Amino acid sequence: MPAHQHAPRTSPARATTRAARPHPQPSADDASARQYSSADDPRVMLDRQVGALFEPIPPYPTRTEREGEFYSLGDGEMFLNVGPHHPATHGVLRLVLKLSGEQIVDVDPVLGYLHRGVEKICENSDYYHVIDQVDPLEYVSSLFQEWAAVLSFEKLMDVQVPRRAEYIRVLSGELLRIASHTLFMGFLALDLGGLTPILYSFIERDEIVEMLAALTGARMLFNYFRVGGVNGDLNHEFMSRLGDWMTRAAKQTEAQAGLLNENEIFVRRMRGVGVLDRATALRYGVTGGNLRASGVPFDLRRAHPYSVYPELDFNIPTRDEGDSLARYLIRVDEVRESIKIVDQCLHNMPDGPVMARLPRLIRPRPGRAWGACEGPRGMLGVYTISDGSDGPFRFRIHDPSFLNLETVPALLPGNLLADTMAVVSSLDPVMGGIDK
Amino acid sequence: MAVGGREPRGSKAAPSRPLAPAPPGELSVPIAVPNTLWQSSNPLAYDGGRPAEITHLREFGLTDAGRNDAARWGALQVIPTNADYILDLIRANSLWPLLSGLACCAFEMMSGATSKNDMDRWGMFPFRASPRQADVLIVAGTLTTKMSGPLIRLWEQMPEPKWSVALGDCTVSGGRYKRSYSVVQGIDRVMPVDVYVPGCPPRPEGLIYGMLQLGQLVKDRRGHWNEREIGPTAPDDI
Repeated sequence: MPAHQHAPRTSPARATTRAARPHPQPSADDASARQYSSADDPRVMLDRQVGALFEPIPPYPTRTEREGEFYSLGDGEMFLNVGPHHPATHGVLRLVLKLSGEQIVDVDPVLGYLHRGVEKICENSDYYHVIDQVDPLEYVSSLFQEWAAVLSFEKLMDVQVPRRAEYIRVLSGELLRIASHTLFMGFLALDLGGLTPILYSFIERDEIVEMLAALTGARMLFNYFRVGGVNGDLNHEFMSRLGDWMTRAAKQTEAQAGLLNENEIFVRRMRGVGVLDRATALRYGVTGGNLRASGVPFDLRRAHPYSVYPELDFNIPTRDEGDSLARYLIRVDEVRESIKIVDQCLHNMPDGPVMARLPRLIRPRPGRAWGACEGPRGMLGVYTISDGSDGPFRFRIHDPSFLNLETVPALLPGNLLADTMAVVSSLDPVMGGIDK
Repeated sequence: MAVGGREPRGSKAAPSRPLAPAPPGELSVPIAVPNTLWQSSNPLAYDGGRPAEITHLREFGLTDAGRNDAARWGALQVIPTNADYILDLIRANSLWPLLSGLACCAFEMMSGATSKNDMDRWGMFPFRASPRQADVLIVAGTLTTKMSGPLIRLWEQMPEPKWSVALGDCTVSGGRYKRSYSVVQGIDRVMPVDVYVPGCPPRPEGLIYGMLQLGQLVKDRRGHWNEREIGPTAPDDI
């Protein structure tokens, strides 16, 4: 009997009932067990190979031209491994840096430490479960990931969403955008060595997620949007918390931005670092604030309007510098615009239902649909192929953080080692979305 | 009995497992000191020595590579003395966590450490970036198979006495990724766990409660670090 065919694992509680059954063990003369060598199997992670994860030079012959170029050291060059556990990599990102002294020569980002197979799980779920499953991708701002999925499904089903539901979506989404950008400012300062702004960021973020918890029932993974509306109307606790917060939101934002905007160390470390010019940004497919910091006024809320954004009055802030400081200042401006949008939503909120009339079991016609919304990091898209069953036949997630992170090898070379985190952090990557 | 004098895990009655064949040309026999200091209180921990049922872990187990690092499987490399009966009372009130976030739960962990829910009130504050300076490993977020190697390395780099907290459903049992092909179904399959904090993600208050429970556990177990409950404790049918 092969060694891997053994009795199921028993819990201690059930040990008495199963103790009598002999467990087939790999014996010494079991040929399949003895001759099995996992070193032949590249899928198996040996301890030695686990150790090799931290050695920058691969033990195998290089597979691509790029790999050969990267792993050949020039005169006076060295490798430095950053991550996957590093307090400033925004999750489990690993960067292999090739250094010449303090200067970065080349970068090799290694991804996949958080790959959870969400797309495959979504293809095995029905449409209701997909909304829950896509939540932990952009875990800082999970409503937008739900929004993209829901937009895609609504195109498939040709649903008319009630206006009140659209306003609630915009309201909650913009609140979460503020929370996400606020966290971004704090983490950016933290990566540069400033501990204070993160404390202010979490005050704001905790207040926003607490009011969203009153609305949706969860603090981070909301599972709030539905095909054809939202799950539950505005309630008293949410509105009272929001009212309290709105009285001081603008002032608080300015105070927090003032901590960094007027900090000379911060500004001098950010200005002119990691300049992403307009052509490169477009070529890499960068979206969101990173693109607008390079001078391209592309915002999905205006370029391909969805929901009720055409009715709302807000600006698309852009900057021309394209450096890390511009990427930071864009976020500050977007927080101001989002506060304006939240204010307008509260004033224009219509009455009516929050869910369209839909059958309990969703079965769209066969077809395909692309739904995209403007998340805090750029265009969040979902591409769904329906075969007429109650779940997506194929489900593909387009995440902006992945494309934004792709620019790191273009931005870092030439900078100093200490600026690595300033550049990576100013791109605001979220590893959950990158690795899916 | 196994070659090299190594005792199998669990009870004495558990059948022996063949060691990985030595590479050809390897002549020197490694000296392995048997672990007589510590025996698991649960003979069925780590499947009583049987291979794991998840594919990658099963293949990993077949190589016996995981048996080589004592820290992961519970044997102590230091011996607590009488002084530790007192020192553990101090340690329980000053648990320094490792600043290590994997996914979503990391934000709730950081939220617990910052202004509103201030874990510093119970001495759990300085989130150390280096595992050499940390007491508690809070595994915050989904653990994938690719990340499990680095995480175990972090755990082994932490000096004894050390404790671990599984934060969130993914680390407790796999949670919403029970059907995923790339997620470790509960971190207790790869490392010991002292406190489980369920939730997706748990609120910061949940983490603080778990850390307070951990402080009590440290006091209860003072001077007996080897009584760490190891092995998967979640029932199969979850």
